[in-house]
Amino acid sequence: MALLLAVPLTHNGYIEIVFRNILMYATMAYGWNMIGGYTGYVSFGQVAFFGLGAYCSAVLSQFGVDNLLADVLVACAVNGGFAVLVGLPVLQLKGHYFAIATLGVALALTDIIANLDALGGTAGMRLRQVDEAHFSVYYYAMWIVALAAILATYFIARSKLGYAFVAIRENEDAAAVLGISPRRYKITAWAISAMMAGSAGAVFAPANGFLDPSIGFSVDSNVFPIVMALLGGIGTVAGPFIGAIILAGANELLQRYFIKIHTLFFGAMIVLVVLLLPRGLVWLFGLRGGVRTWLKSLTEYKA
Amino acid sequence: MQLLGQDLVNGILAGGILAVVALGFSLVWGIMNIINLAHGAYIMLGAYLTYQLFQTFHLDPFLSLPVSFAALFVLGYLVQRLLINWVARAPVLTTFLLTFGLSLLLVNVALLIWTGDTRGVTTSYSGANFSIVGITIPWAKLYTLLVALAITGVMHVWLTRTKTGRAIRATSMDIGAAQLSGVRTAQIYAIVYGLSAGLAGVAGTLISLSYALTPTMGDPFLIKAFVVCVLGGLGSVQGALIGGIVYGIVEAFATQIDVTIGTQHISGSGLQDAIALVVLLIVLIVRPTGIAGKATA
Repeated sequence: MALLLAVPLTHNGYIEIVFRNILMYATMAYGWNMIGGYTGYVSFGQVAFFGLGAYCSAVLSQFGVDNLLADVLVACAVNGGFAVLVGLPVLQLKGHYFAIATLGVALALTDIIANLDALGGTAGMRLRQVDEAHFSVYYYAMWIVALAAILATYFIARSKLGYAFVAIRENEDAAAVLGISPRRYKITAWAISAMMAGSAGAVFAPANGFLDPSIGFSVDSNVFPIVMALLGGIGTVAGPFIGAIILAGANELLQRYFIKIHTLFFGAMIVLVVLLLPRGLVWLFGLRGGVRTWLKSLTEYKA
Repeated sequence: MQLLGQDLVNGILAGGILAVVALGFSLVWGIMNIINLAHGAYIMLGAYLTYQLFQTFHLDPFLSLPVSFAALFVLGYLVQRLLINWVARAPVLTTFLLTFGLSLLLVNVALLIWTGDTRGVTTSYSGANFSIVGITIPWAKLYTLLVALAITGVMHVWLTRTKTGRAIRATSMDIGAAQLSGVRTAQIYAIVYGLSAGLAGVAGTLISLSYALTPTMGDPFLIKAFVVCVLGGLGSVQGALIGGIVYGIVEAFATQIDVTIGTQHISGSGLQDAIALVVLLIVLIVRPTGIAGKATA
């Protein structure tokens, strides 16, 4: 992580954007990991929070506020509130129903913003940017946001809060019997994850300089973080970061050398990760028993 | 009044297509407990197959229904056998991502073959319609509804009266007990998934008559299929039909809403996903078992 601080020293705009995207996806992967990994509620609509955070920055920019710290703080507040509001009905659902309902929230929010003229509609909005000499400020901001997400995950995972999340994942009824209010903790996890995704969006929008619904709520931003968390290892502190570096790096190379068919490769990559590494790299590194145990684990859920 | 009648008829006609879409989706969900995110991609393949047969051999779309069904059945059967079966009983996330990855693959293959240009199937009867008491009914959509009704009937009889149908229902009730009774569940899963893909292919053919074709055309149908299944009652053949038609009517009316607040103009037709989400949440809160579903544990 500290090594990534040196990236702007290359003075190469392309490399800086590649690594900024890695940090952005990593932050979102940590956000997904909080609700999907630790708490066990598989969300398929985290892009709603990313997009909402991005639109917070865009609106602030319209009012002449171009301060990244203000952007992130406002995005966190708005996302926290939105998460609680949406979480009250949606977090009552479980499994498939929860996954589709969250996907529905993301699609519905995209629809609504695309229809609001005040937010630029489908035509989008421009954001004021800093002059080129100071462009790295966006990189450092994204680095800080990513670091905050990692540290938050690290400390939450070791706290009573984190254990409550895991208890809900393992057995919600048993957790309730032990005095952990599932509703309150689920909403807490959901709000934290929303703030992480929202912060990434809040920095992304001014760094990109332009925002429309297809950029703010892209399918990539929805699914990349989940696959990254899965590849690295869901419900682990290191997993999302490892997954983000590998997957975003691979995607960048594919995009560069196979511009026309890189999404084809990405689809294939998802299929392979799910079938071959369902528990992620962190699990694989710690695995005892070699190839045979790994192969055996692959047939665990065979029909 | 006439406008209301027209909306109602439009809704019922659109509901026929939704019913076929949801029927296949509901089979895999109800029997294998998998949300198949590739269902939209199978619909798209069925539509493009129809388009290609129409362009190359001038084959009438209604005659290509069996071709779409057979081709997609084979594809679905193989996908289940070679890929999904490995994780058939895994938690939500695994099957969700796997079928999403498959969908991405298929959509991009279609993009390479047919490019992203919008295509259409224009038959001699494409624009033809007739009027009853001032309500316009396009022939193509009426035939589509009749096909949907026929398919639902055939599926219902097949699932309840044949040996394979009974084995499928047994597998969905208790996979362990079905295995002990000599049902080859992996084979059953492959048949169910193939059947579901085949029905998606049929839906694609029907859709190609009234909608434009693009590689991502299946996506909007995915979330609707989910809502229709919840609305009608999961795992029930009649439920898919009832849910499809009810949802078709709800959507036909909801998209007519037009509100202007100040300078902001809000039109229901741009908010289809928001409408789907609202219907979904209401049904889940008010009647989680759906219209035709029975209460389960």
